[in-house]
Amino acid sequence: MALYSRRLLPLQLVVALVVGVVLVAMLVAGVRPLAGHAVGRVVLLVGLVALPVLLSVGNLSYGVSQSSSTRFCLSCHEMERFGRSLFVDNKQALAAVHYQDRLVPRESTCYTCHKDYALFGDVKAKLNGLRHVWAHYVTGVPAQIKLYEPYPNSNCLHCHDDSRRFVEKDVHRAISSQLYAGSVSCLSCHRIAHDMAKVDAHQFWQAR
Amino acid sequence: MIRSIRRAAICTGLGLLVQLVAALDWTPFTFIASAVVGLPLILVGAVLFLRAVWKSLKSGGAA
Repeated sequence: MALYSRRLLPLQLVVALVVGVVLVAMLVAGVRPLAGHAVGRVVLLVGLVALPVLLSVGNLSYGVSQSSSTRFCLSCHEMERFGRSLFVDNKQALAAVHYQDRLVPRESTCYTCHKDYALFGDVKAKLNGLRHVWAHYVTGVPAQIKLYEPYPNSNCLHCHDDSRRFVEKDVHRAISSQLYAGSVSCLSCHRIAHDMAKVDAHQFWQAR
Repeated sequence: MIRSIRRAAICTGLGLLVQLVAALDWTPFTFIASAVVGLPLILVGAVLFLRAVWKSLKSGGAA
């Protein structure tokens, strides 16, 4: 069931960091002879400043990319129920149908639907992520988890906008201007985003 | 100077070690640890090293 928990070790990154740690340890032992002449000091400069800073930048940028992964989002226990809602047996539940029908990439399911697609959508999503972390470790998780602001239609329309299934539905055509303006929410018809009732009832869909 | 560089190297090494542990399993906790502990340790190490070299060059000695 827990497909989202598959973990890939960033082997090149880990190897580079191990090499970096070993190199720094060697430099600690060899400071005296190296500091004595110009070439040695350049080696120290590269080994203690340039290389570690480069490794950190690489590591952090990989970390930022990993923070978009489903596994990352669901690694906090308060998100576990939302993770399970991807597997419920309900074709009306948006999260479940998007995940099960592979309408969104499984490795970044949460992020694909919960980030804005505007210019600074990624930045906003990451800052919201930091707010989650702050709540998790400092202020405490609220009893009822809800979005910071109403779910925008633009996130749905980013993918469904010109999709045949969306365009050919009469009901969509009838209210298309309201949908695009955001005056009618997609969720006013598609009401179930995460089917928590079925999560609690353990009603999950199993691929045969 | 030798002692300062050694201190800088230890800082840098610890920073890399924190980042290595974080890279083994990215979770919100390890990400924050990497960004708030690992990266600053490396930057502190770099500053300590450059300050040691600068001081040594200013005083005219190599070591």
